[in-house]
Amino acid sequence: MSLRIMFKMLRRHALMPTLVMLQVALACAILCNVLFLVWQRVQPMVAPSGLAEDELVLVDQIFSRTHTFSAAEAHAGQLALAHAPGVRSASSALGLPMIGMVMVDYTLKSPTGVTVGVNGYFGEGLVKTLGLQLVEGRDFLPSEYRDFGITQQSSEVDKSSSPEPVIITQSLERQLFNGKSAVGKNLSVTDDPEHGYFVIGVVRHLLRNQLSLASDGRADNTLLAAKRIGDSALLSYAVRVDPAMREVAMHGIRETVKRQFGAEMGDDAPVRIATYAETRHEALKSQRAALWLFAGVTIAVIVVTAIGIMGLTGFWVQRRTRQIGIQRALGARRSQVLRYFMLENLLIAGAGVVVGMALAYVANGLLMHYYELPHLPWTYLPIGGAVVLLLGQLAVLAPARRAAEVPPVVATRAI
Amino acid sequence: MRYNLMLAWHGLKRFPRSTILAVLTVAMGLAATMTTLALLHQLTADPLPGRSGHLYLAWVDTVRAKPVAIQSANGINPSNYHRIKLDDAEELLHEHRAMWQAAMTSVYTELAADDGAHPHVKHAYLLATTAEFQPMLGVGLRSGRSWTAAEDAARVPVAVIDEALAVELFGSIQAVGREIKIGSHRFQVIGVSAPFSPQPHFYDLSAMTFSGSQRDRAFVPLRALLDAGIDLAGNDGCDEDAPKKRTMFGTDAAHCAAVSYWVDLPSKAQANAFGDYLQRYAANQKSLAGLGKAPRSELTGVGAWLSKQNVVPDNVRLNAWLAGSFLLLCMANVAGLLAARFLRRGGEIGIRRALGAPRAAIFQQHVFEASMICLIGGLLAWPLTLFGLWTLRLQDGGFTDLARLDPSMFGALLALAVAVGLLTGWLPAWRASRVEPGLQVKSV
Repeated sequence: MSLRIMFKMLRRHALMPTLVMLQVALACAILCNVLFLVWQRVQPMVAPSGLAEDELVLVDQIFSRTHTFSAAEAHAGQLALAHAPGVRSASSALGLPMIGMVMVDYTLKSPTGVTVGVNGYFGEGLVKTLGLQLVEGRDFLPSEYRDFGITQQSSEVDKSSSPEPVIITQSLERQLFNGKSAVGKNLSVTDDPEHGYFVIGVVRHLLRNQLSLASDGRADNTLLAAKRIGDSALLSYAVRVDPAMREVAMHGIRETVKRQFGAEMGDDAPVRIATYAETRHEALKSQRAALWLFAGVTIAVIVVTAIGIMGLTGFWVQRRTRQIGIQRALGARRSQVLRYFMLENLLIAGAGVVVGMALAYVANGLLMHYYELPHLPWTYLPIGGAVVLLLGQLAVLAPARRAAEVPPVVATRAI
Repeated sequence: MRYNLMLAWHGLKRFPRSTILAVLTVAMGLAATMTTLALLHQLTADPLPGRSGHLYLAWVDTVRAKPVAIQSANGINPSNYHRIKLDDAEELLHEHRAMWQAAMTSVYTELAADDGAHPHVKHAYLLATTAEFQPMLGVGLRSGRSWTAAEDAARVPVAVIDEALAVELFGSIQAVGREIKIGSHRFQVIGVSAPFSPQPHFYDLSAMTFSGSQRDRAFVPLRALLDAGIDLAGNDGCDEDAPKKRTMFGTDAAHCAAVSYWVDLPSKAQANAFGDYLQRYAANQKSLAGLGKAPRSELTGVGAWLSKQNVVPDNVRLNAWLAGSFLLLCMANVAGLLAARFLRRGGEIGIRRALGAPRAAIFQQHVFEASMICLIGGLLAWPLTLFGLWTLRLQDGGFTDLARLDPSMFGALLALAVAVGLLTGWLPAWRASRVEPGLQVKSV
């Protein structure tokens, strides 16, 4: 049967196709946006961390209200932790992966003027302790570290005039230097243009700790600065342990923290000592909750749409039983009837998908206007559309089969 | 009309399978929408009904520092909670231009009940404030009294603690006259208050927003607390000529904008006058000359303040939109189901019409049927919504324990159900009322 006749049919009985189209359009718009939101949440979860994840233990929130830890105390803690049984190395650090409590914020600017928002990690020996993989250049030399603490932050202390060495990730190298080697190149930050930085090394991956931004190619926007932790009100440590001795090491770390800092922290101290895996699990809790929610929405949308299409098409078929019978009596094959209904659904759903994609785009634009939401890339539209089209074809299969089963003899009855 | 209602009821029972399907679909859509709306309703509720309408946050910019424009590509902005310096707060308090006024800031610190043998130590938030907080915010007193402006000025170490804290520290709510140690000083308990926990914690959002189980559990005079060596928690900027910082997180109250200054202005005219007064105050700051800053002040009402600080998490609103569009999808679906079943009984409709029923009657019958389906769906959505809110509460977002359904939202649920019924039923019912009697009767 030609498309022209099909269109004519659809136009004459416009209510059913319109309702199917409306459902398809709404489902398509919702699914496009949900798929996009899902991908936003999934990216930080699947981004490579670049860390020796199995060997890492994070000690966080060593905290004293009454007194500020001195640089010597911070360093003593690092030494004591490094000498605990089962521990390979320890670093007093500011900013740790998967811990969003303290975030170091840089807006880096390349010589060619590209600016990138970056999170920094400070601490002595972090390349070794975090187990990062250097792909170019070198690690910091012990002599390159400068103390970073309250005393150093205040304006009385002169900043060293020579540029400060930093280690960046491969992804940053690509973004800032357009794929050319970054080692030895200079960088600056936008809010302190006088102070210079230069790249001495490049690591393969290092996940940033501002997880909400760890998407769309920004997950590795991280740098290491040659800063040793000075006097501070809050201490945290990265500890690399021998995975075979993890239990022993965890116990040792707990004891060491208690011995070193227990007196200042008091009984209900909020100190957290956990493996990387535990910390990650905790940090991604809200992302997981959101994913469950989106999964629920997706399933509900699919079920409701499928039922809707099946119900309406079933009724549509039933109405036209006699017509189908005539067609069969006139020589139409079963497969032709089946194909007719499949094609008809494809046409209706196709129209719905076009409307739905436009709707999705408009909805995203509106949401983006009011809430902090990235732009919906157009690639999501055909993906969402294809999902809905496929859904439509699957949903129409049962009623179309039923239509194909209509015997030609129906045509001879009760006219 | 009763006849039409009855017909609609019979119609429902005729095709139980499609009725159940439609009811379930509507219930799902309604439950999803109501779950998100109920949470949103709780989060946007008035934190202090009856009072927040005339409370204002007063701000003057007297920090001696050049305005810095920090532009972070990571979207991290320096905090701006419109706090002011302690000296300005005291000056404004002294001039006393509003009905009630108090400077305040929440501090997380250690409280110890010292009864010799067994010191009970608690870490808790307390509100460091000035005398008029109590009548202004309407903090209820269970026993004892609050302190006076004279005690503020004399820096007398007194405290009002809430009854739960009294029980935890002293084992009973009869705590007046006891002492608690905060920092280096002993504070005498002069009053026991009812728990005070407006949601959100609008008067100091820097400490917490939706506070969950946290709240300010004690109230102490601001000056006395500073005397005891307790640091305030944070600030919105410090003077450039301030002395060196003592700790990384502590704040030097004399040189940093660290206290929120709230005033009670019962009428619009008073609010306008106070706004002018603040602007004059900012303009008269001689010490700011030479910094190239225009005098800045602002008087912000509670509602405006909450929306400015964006306290309702974006994803709560986003989820409400998502649920709303899902409800639309469910409505389209039910409209389809209804259209199919109405047209299936085209023969009956034809007979009714042929026997003289007007189109309006047919229309009414079918709209009733649609509304009934949606109303039943609404009733079914009630437990589903409660279940949805329960799952929300299981998640730990700091605000999710507010996910509850109050009676007004239950009413809204039923109203929404009926509205949905009328809307979805309208098109199929109209289509049904257009059935040509002649054609249908012939084919029966």
